[in-house]
Amino acid sequence: MIDESARKTAAQCRHYAMCKIDYLDTGLCPSGPERHYVAFYPQGRMDLYRALAEGLIPMTEALVEAADTCTLCGICDKQCHFVTGMRPVKVMEALKDHVREHLAAKKPVYKPKEDAVLKRLRTIVGDEWATNDPAILFTYADDPFPLAGIQMPRYVVLPGSRDEVAAVVALADELKVPFAIRGNGGSVFGFVFTEGIVLDMNRMRKIEFDTDNWCVAVEPGVTSFELQKEAHKRGYRVNAAEPAATVCGNIVCTGTFSTWSNVYGTAADGFIDMEFVDRKGKVFRLNDKSAPNVFAFDHAMIPSPGVCTKAVVKLHPVTDDEEGILVPFTSFDKAVAFARDLSRRRIALALAVLGGHYIANFMSPSGELAEKIKDVLPEVLGIKYLVFAVADAHGREAIRKMAGTAVIDSALFRTLMLGLPRLADSELAGIASAYEGDAPPYEILCSPEMRPVVEAVLQPSPETIAGSVDEDLREFYARLYARPEMTDMVWLNMFRIVSARMSRRKHMFAFLIYVPLDKIEVINGIISGFARIADARKIEHDYGFLTPMDFGKRAILEYDYYIDHTDPADKKKIADAMTEIGPWLDGLAAKTKGVTFLMYVFSQGCSRKENFLYRLD
Amino acid sequence: MMNAARISREQIEKKRTDRSARFFLTGGTGFLGSHIAVELLKRGHRVTLLARSSGAQRAEDRVRGLLDWFGLSESGRRGLRVVEGDITRPGLGIPAEDMRGLLFETDEIIHCASNTAFSERKREEVEEVNSAGLTNVLDFARESQAYFFHHVSTAFVAGKTAGTCPEDLVTPGEFWNLYEETKCRGEHAAAAACGEAGLGLTIYRPSIVYGDSRTGRSLLFNAVYFPVRTALFIRDLYEKDIRDRGGRKAAEMGVRFEADGSVHLPLRIEVAGEGGIDLIPIDYFTEAFMALMEGAPGGGVFHIVNGRAKRIEDIIDYSCRLFRMTGIRACGAEECREKPRNPLEALYDHYVEAYSPYMRDARVFETARSRSILERTGIVCPEFDYEIFARCMNYAIETGWGFRLF
Repeated sequence: MIDESARKTAAQCRHYAMCKIDYLDTGLCPSGPERHYVAFYPQGRMDLYRALAEGLIPMTEALVEAADTCTLCGICDKQCHFVTGMRPVKVMEALKDHVREHLAAKKPVYKPKEDAVLKRLRTIVGDEWATNDPAILFTYADDPFPLAGIQMPRYVVLPGSRDEVAAVVALADELKVPFAIRGNGGSVFGFVFTEGIVLDMNRMRKIEFDTDNWCVAVEPGVTSFELQKEAHKRGYRVNAAEPAATVCGNIVCTGTFSTWSNVYGTAADGFIDMEFVDRKGKVFRLNDKSAPNVFAFDHAMIPSPGVCTKAVVKLHPVTDDEEGILVPFTSFDKAVAFARDLSRRRIALALAVLGGHYIANFMSPSGELAEKIKDVLPEVLGIKYLVFAVADAHGREAIRKMAGTAVIDSALFRTLMLGLPRLADSELAGIASAYEGDAPPYEILCSPEMRPVVEAVLQPSPETIAGSVDEDLREFYARLYARPEMTDMVWLNMFRIVSARMSRRKHMFAFLIYVPLDKIEVINGIISGFARIADARKIEHDYGFLTPMDFGKRAILEYDYYIDHTDPADKKKIADAMTEIGPWLDGLAAKTKGVTFLMYVFSQGCSRKENFLYRLD
Repeated sequence: MMNAARISREQIEKKRTDRSARFFLTGGTGFLGSHIAVELLKRGHRVTLLARSSGAQRAEDRVRGLLDWFGLSESGRRGLRVVEGDITRPGLGIPAEDMRGLLFETDEIIHCASNTAFSERKREEVEEVNSAGLTNVLDFARESQAYFFHHVSTAFVAGKTAGTCPEDLVTPGEFWNLYEETKCRGEHAAAAACGEAGLGLTIYRPSIVYGDSRTGRSLLFNAVYFPVRTALFIRDLYEKDIRDRGGRKAAEMGVRFEADGSVHLPLRIEVAGEGGIDLIPIDYFTEAFMALMEGAPGGGVFHIVNGRAKRIEDIIDYSCRLFRMTGIRACGAEECREKPRNPLEALYDHYVEAYSPYMRDARVFETARSRSILERTGIVCPEFDYEIFARCMNYAIETGWGFRLF
C-alpha cells in the first residue's frame, strides 16, 4: 500500500544530488559509496518509491536490495532538509514497508535476464557494474525538468577506468547503441537521457595534485565539493560549480561559472588539459594539435566532443586575509554599476549582484524564515540588492571607500545570520519600518557604533538560528552553525552548499545569459522580458544573480522561473513560455553584441570564453 | 483665476443642514479620514467613500472591518457607499460606468488621502499621492457637479518658519521634510483649481494628531508614539537581557534595575531651550473639522491646533512614570556634547531624528479664524496630560502599536 504523503515527498525530489556528497560532515548514506548506482542513494530511493506508486516498474531484485540496504540512519534527512526543507526518511520507511509487505505476501520479484549486450558490458566492467534491472534503470530515466518525459535506458554501466570507458563506448559504436554520460548519476535539466546505455562515472573518483604546475587532475566522478575540499586542505582554491555537480561533466556541459568567474573566468579558462574518449572509443587530449578543436564555439546546439575521462583543473592561490563583504543598494542599476566598477578595476575576487530572494535563501535554514527575510530586507531595512564581494584586506578597504555608504562586513554578516530569526520577528523590525529619516534604514544596522545593540537585539548564536527549523533537527543545526565556516561568506561561496536552496519552495527553471555589462538597458530589457513572459502565464519568477566577467566587459545573468514540476498545469505553462522565450532570446542575440544564451554553450564548455562572449559572426 | 461659485452660501448651509448634501471622501481608510467619515455618517449624512483593495482584501471588506472597529451600527452605515478606486490612477481608477453617476451625485468632496512619509528616499511614492493623486481628485472635482472641496492639509505647511504662521496660503522658503513640502504645494494647487472651477474651498490644517483623549483608541501610532515606542524597545531589550541572560549586555550599556524595580536607561535626549510639540487628539480634530465645515460655508484656511506646545520634558516624565523608567532626560546641545553619545542614544537619535523639528517646535500657529467658530460651539482642545498620555499609550501597547487592531 502506497503512503500518499511519502509519495508526494518523493515526487518533489529536486535531483540536486546533495545526498551524494558529505557536505555537512554527517557522513553519507552507507550504501551509496559502496554500491555507486543512484538507486542506492536517497535520491534513487525517492525515485523508486515514486515509480512504484505510479506503477512504472515492477518489484525487482535490485529494488528489494535498494530498500534493504537503507539503514534508516537519518543522514539524508539532515542533508536534504538543509537545502530543500524536505525529510526523505519517511520515504525510505515507506519504501521499506512496501517491499516488506510485497515479500510477505509472496508476490513475484522480477529478476532480469542477462542478454548478449549486457554480457559483453559485464566483461568490460565486471558483473557488479553493469545492469539491466528496471529499478536501477528507472533512477536514470527521469528528472524534475518539466519539458522532458521519462526515457528508460536499456543498460546502466559504471566504468572504473578510462580504458573501461573507451571499451564501452567502442562497443556502443559497434552495436549502434546510443549512450549518455552521467557524472555522478544525477540529472536536473532533462538532457542526459538515452534509450541505450547510461555510463555513470561515480566509480571514477581519483584526484591527483600537481602543485608545482598549479593544477589538479580529476576523474569524471569527482564532484565540485570534493575537489574544493581537497584543494582547500592544501591551501588552494578551484573555480567550482554547484557542489554535487561533477567537475568534468560541468566543464564539458557549460564551462564552470560561479561568482569567482569574475577573476577565474569560465570555460577554457578553468583547465590546463582534458582527456576524452571519442564516439568511436579513441582517447584524445585537448592539448594535442591533432585533437578536435573544441576551443572554437558554434552558436548552435552541437554534441559534446566525447566522454571526458580526466580534467586537469587550475589551482588558484589564496591569501589569509580574504573576507566577504556586502554593499546594500536600493537600485539595481546602481548595484550593477558598482559591481562593474569593481570588476574593471580588478578589485574583488568573487563578485555578484544579488537580489533579496537569493540572499534570504542563502542565509535562512528554513523556507519559512527565508520568506520573512525576503520581505524584511526591502521593507524594513531598505535593501533591495546587494553587491557581494570576496576581497583581501586591501580590496575591502577600497570597496568601503568606493561604496561611501554602510557595508555589511563578515562580522556583521555572521551576527545577522546567527540572529536571523530575531531579525524577522523582533520589535526592531517594527521600529525600523516606521523610520522616517533620510539615511537608508540599513545604515544604522551597519554602524559599528550600534554593534552592541544589534547583538543585544538579535542574540546571535547557533541556538538562535537553529530555533527556526523543526524541533527534532535543532540540536543538529546548533552544532552545525557552531562551525565558523557556516557563517563565512568566503567558505559558503567556495563550496556553494546553499545554492540549491533556491529551489526550496519550488523547482527552479534557471535561464542563464551572457550579457554586455556596459549596457544596463540590455540587461534591464532581458529581466523585464522574462518577468513579462512569466506574468502573462502566472509563473512565479524572480531575479537570480549577475556576476561580472572579463574585467567588467561582460557578465552572466541568471533569471529564474519557479514551478511545481509535478503539476501538469505548471508544466504546460513553462512549455508555453519556452515557445516565446526561445525566439525572443535568439532575436536579441542576433542583434545585440554580447548576448549569448547559455543553452548554446551546452556541450561546448571547453571553448574559449572569448568565442561566445564576443561573437564575431 | 476665480470663477463664480457654483451655488450660494445659503444653499450650501441648507444642504448641509437638511442632510441632502452628498459627500465624496478620499483617504477614508486612513486615520483622519475614517474618523471624519464615521462622524458624518453618525450625523446622518450620505458618504461615498473611495477605497483601495489591499492584497487579498477587497475595499468593501477593509471598510467594513474599520467600521466594526469604530463600533458603528448597521443602521449607522446606511448612508455609506464604498467605491473601489485609487486616487493615483487617472479617473481615480473608478470604472467609467460608476464614474458617470458619481460626477452627478457628488456635492462636496473631502480629500483626506495623503502619504505622510517624510523621507526624500520616498519622494516618488509621496509625490504620486500628494501631488499626482491630488491632481486626479481636483480633476474629478472640476468635472463633477460638486460645489465644495474640503482639503485636509497640515499646520506644518509653514515649513522652516520662525514665529507666527498665518491661517492663509503660505510660501515658505524651506521645509523640514517632503511631507510639509508636498502638502504646501497641494494647498496652492487646490486653491488654484477650486478658484478656476468655482468650487468653495476650506483648508484644514491639523497639527500632530494622536488617539482619542477619552478612550486612548487610535488607528495610527507615529509622531508622539514613536519616540515612546523606541524608548520602550530599548527598555524591554535590556530588561529581558537582565532577567533571562544575566544582564551582561545591559551592564555594558549602563542599564540596570533600580531598587524599586524600575529600569535605569542612560538616555539623553537633546532638546532646544524653547518650544515643544503641538498635539491634538483625534476626537478634538473630528469635532473641530465638523464645526469648521458647518460654520464656514464661505471656506477659508483654518488651523486645528492645540496652541500650547507640550514640552518634551513632560513627555519624558510621563513615559518614565507610566513605564517605570529612570535615567532618561532632556538636555541641551552643550550638555550633550560634553560626553560622547552611547549606543542607546545613537539608536534613539537615529530613529527619532526625523521628528525632532516637531519636538522642539517654536512655531506659533495663528488661530483667530478657527477660534471664532470653535469658541462659538464650545469646542476646546484638551491638555495632553498624564492621564490622556497613559490612556493612549496603554491602548497602543495593547494593540501591538497597531499590529493587532482588527
